[in-house]
Amino acid sequence: MECWSNGCTIMDNEKKTVLELRDISKIYKTRSSFFGPGGEQVVALNRISLTIYKGEIFGLVGESGSGKTTAGRLIVGLENPKEGEIYLNSTEISGLKGRALKEYRRKVQMIFQDPYQSLNPQLSIYESVAEPLIIHKIGGGVERLERVIQTLKTVGLSPPQEFLYRYPHQLSGGQRQRVAIARAMVLGPEFVVADEPTSMLDASYSAQIFNILLNVRDKLKVTILFITHNLAAARYLCDRVGVIYKGNLMELGPADEVIQNPKHPYTQALIDAIPKFGHCGEIREYKTFLRPQRKASEGVGCPFFKRCRKADETRCRIDVPPLRAVEDSHYAACFFAEPGHEKRPESDACLLGI
Amino acid sequence: MTDMAEEKPPKRKIHWIAHFREGWSIYKQNILGKIGLTLLVVFALMALFSFVPPLIDPMYHPMTGVDPVISSSEGPSFKHWLGTDFMGRDILSQLLAGARIAFMVGVSAAFMSIFLGTAIGMISGYMGKFVDTFLMRLAEVIMVMPTLLVTLILAALFGQLSIWAIVLVIALFRWPGVSRVIRAQTLSLKQRPFIEAAKVAGASHLRIIFRHIMPNVLPLSFLYMTFRVTSAITIEAALAFLGFGDPSTVSWGMMLQWVWKTGHMFKAPYWLLPPGICISLITLSFYMLGRAMDEVLDPRLRREQ
Amino acid sequence: MALLEVKKLSVGYNTKKGFLKAVEAVSFSLDEGRSLGFVGESGCGKTTLGMALMGLLPPNGHVTDGQIIFEGEDLLEKSEDEMRKFRWRKISMIFQAAMNALNPVKRVQDQIAEAILTHNPNLETKEALRRVEKLFQLVGLPEGRMRDYPHQYSGGMKQRAIIAMALSCNPRLIIADEPTTALDVIVQHQILEETRDLQKELDLSIIFISHDISIVADVCDTIGIMYAGQLVEYGSREEVFDDPMHYYTRALISSYPTLTGEKRELLPIPGESPNLIEPPLGCRFCDRCHASGDSCSIGPPEWVDITPTHKALCGLCLK
Repeated sequence: MECWSNGCTIMDNEKKTVLELRDISKIYKTRSSFFGPGGEQVVALNRISLTIYKGEIFGLVGESGSGKTTAGRLIVGLENPKEGEIYLNSTEISGLKGRALKEYRRKVQMIFQDPYQSLNPQLSIYESVAEPLIIHKIGGGVERLERVIQTLKTVGLSPPQEFLYRYPHQLSGGQRQRVAIARAMVLGPEFVVADEPTSMLDASYSAQIFNILLNVRDKLKVTILFITHNLAAARYLCDRVGVIYKGNLMELGPADEVIQNPKHPYTQALIDAIPKFGHCGEIREYKTFLRPQRKASEGVGCPFFKRCRKADETRCRIDVPPLRAVEDSHYAACFFAEPGHEKRPESDACLLGI
Repeated sequence: MTDMAEEKPPKRKIHWIAHFREGWSIYKQNILGKIGLTLLVVFALMALFSFVPPLIDPMYHPMTGVDPVISSSEGPSFKHWLGTDFMGRDILSQLLAGARIAFMVGVSAAFMSIFLGTAIGMISGYMGKFVDTFLMRLAEVIMVMPTLLVTLILAALFGQLSIWAIVLVIALFRWPGVSRVIRAQTLSLKQRPFIEAAKVAGASHLRIIFRHIMPNVLPLSFLYMTFRVTSAITIEAALAFLGFGDPSTVSWGMMLQWVWKTGHMFKAPYWLLPPGICISLITLSFYMLGRAMDEVLDPRLRREQ
Repeated sequence: MALLEVKKLSVGYNTKKGFLKAVEAVSFSLDEGRSLGFVGESGCGKTTLGMALMGLLPPNGHVTDGQIIFEGEDLLEKSEDEMRKFRWRKISMIFQAAMNALNPVKRVQDQIAEAILTHNPNLETKEALRRVEKLFQLVGLPEGRMRDYPHQYSGGMKQRAIIAMALSCNPRLIIADEPTTALDVIVQHQILEETRDLQKELDLSIIFISHDISIVADVCDTIGIMYAGQLVEYGSREEVFDDPMHYYTRALISSYPTLTGEKRELLPIPGESPNLIEPPLGCRFCDRCHASGDSCSIGPPEWVDITPTHKALCGLCLK
């Protein structure tokens, strides 16, 4: 077992660690705006530590402002952490520059959230997907074409020849996102960050993207960090899940385990909030979200204290609960998290109250 | 495998044609654009035809053609459709030659200033910080200098400027306007996810500027080029009118200068009006071209009935 | 008598490429105090439907057929002046991304008061502001924040302000187009919960429009599924979710990941939605439907009544 300031991680000997974040912190300074004071410090990530194993799809679940996107950006090197280190296969990669950074980019790629903005409108599909190959000087003209065609097939854009010379504006959102996935995969990376790849698509098209990600993981043996606000999607797609709130990791564990048996009040609040499709009777309600929020100072005590109904007024206000193992491979940052299933009454109240 | 490789070139051409056709169908619907384009075609034909008159008869040469019979300014006649200037030279051939000069000056000066402006704007917007501040301050300094005045001073210092010197000066003084627009566009593009995607793919800064930013910025550059042409032509005309043009070239401004200098301003409307009208019309038509192109390039400006 | 009855409404747009038939022969009815949800992917016509009900189609949009009967009157027969008096007082709308359309340089209370005063010109400003105070209480916004500017509000607060604006003239019906996109999960849940409570309290009727079936599933009594401009299934919440008939509805529901129940493979819907300028003659879902038969593409499908309250536009669904 190895421990850092934010908690401990069990190093499973069977699983190989691909990516590791150690005590990562990222702080943004807001610029003074015309109306407001600005110049404040916003803590996007607060000493996060995370390990991702080879071949898994790891879900980082959180709402807006949780820091999940920031974590993704730090991993692909679009920004640098203020504190802490990031390791790829045990090599430190935070702060890489020049040639080493370019080498790193061959192994770690990203799928962006907005399919309408993540493709260069002036480049054809072929040009966009071949771009990484050209940058890294891989293959000649014919080989590149072959590789692009193969990758387009893998993401389900068939027949590939039909799409090669079209332009992004001629494709639908779902198709564009598939091109973005193809572009990320064409180099054969080891690790891919998928930053909310379906949040800008109609819900009915999300399933396509999920299945493509699963396919890509199985066929190309890529490890994926799936960033999302949708717990249900995380359940479908991910092996393990980490719940993040205001820059802090609140819960971590196997996806099914975390969703069926959530230990942290925030995770429980998220589960309460997810639409039930009218099947209310099957779900336990945790009712952990406090409204209106408590008055408390920032930066002291548990990050979820203001919104937590279960919180202890004295202890949770001052002490920061560490991320500790509650059950096998299941961690939560809460003083009251206990092993076993929580005894809660079955809720028969639907949202609609009918 | 081989037929895949063969497929590639034809598909590319097809895209350009389709793109052009689409743009053209939008352009066609704009009345201003059609008028502008028609006028420009007329002027272009004039410029092309400017070589013809001296071939018909040496007396029609704009500079050196001298009518054996007429040696003063006379009104329109069968021999000289627009009449003659004070030396007996044919005004129509001068007008045609002027069209040629207008295009030459207009397009070259515009092209050079756009080239400079786009490059500087992109680099400034993308690099930011010190480079950006420096280049934009430089742009501001140049922008506030009155182009015409500076050119006059230069002419006074160095004597008569050749037409190409004039073109160069115009280009050097007109890039700031373009660069500010291109810089603004670059700044907004810089934030777009596809630029970040290029970074994550490993692209160098240079590659990002030329492969990703430039193609998105070029349509704007071309648009501004049409506006620059109008100002280049006007400046050259003004210089020539004031007497600082290239005396070996016949431009419309030069013609106006001759009218004025030789005291024929109110006596010879057939000589005064044609060059003046031409300058106004060509400026207007380039402007109309630019406005119609704006609609093609910016989908938001298009009107749907 | 139903509050709103829509009969065979058809709406289209004049575009450069031709006449786009955005909504085709949609019929439904809504009783007082009930909520109806329209679900469909982008381009299915649901937003157009909402705009047509309000008479707020853009200049190139036209209603080509049908009736919109509200409280016994056909709204399509009304002139623009009459509609202007009608809007906001009887029917109000929450537009897509409305929270981003709040005027950044006006205080929130002033914006809501403006809505009130525009439709009640004889009212005094003081009285209008008093109403704003009541509205704030109603939607759960703290009174102390009335004089704030929109940028000082969180996303959830902005959306509540928009709801307050929609309620400001005591309408009978609210049309809410994607009211919770861009909101976080927990805030979304709160807003939906509060909307349901408001609906009960004020005996309001609400039409929800969304691409996300899970949102509509929890809040609406009746669901209408739209595809390619047509209503393809219509019934009570339980009927549509427990017993989906139309193959598009079935495909839609099985493409959603659920939080509970057994984990099954998500089945995405293949292909893309049809061109509405020249829509197919037969069933519009035919080429994406795994159960399509020969009869499906020849002629338009007929409505099939599964129960007195549940119907589907599909010839094969009962077999």
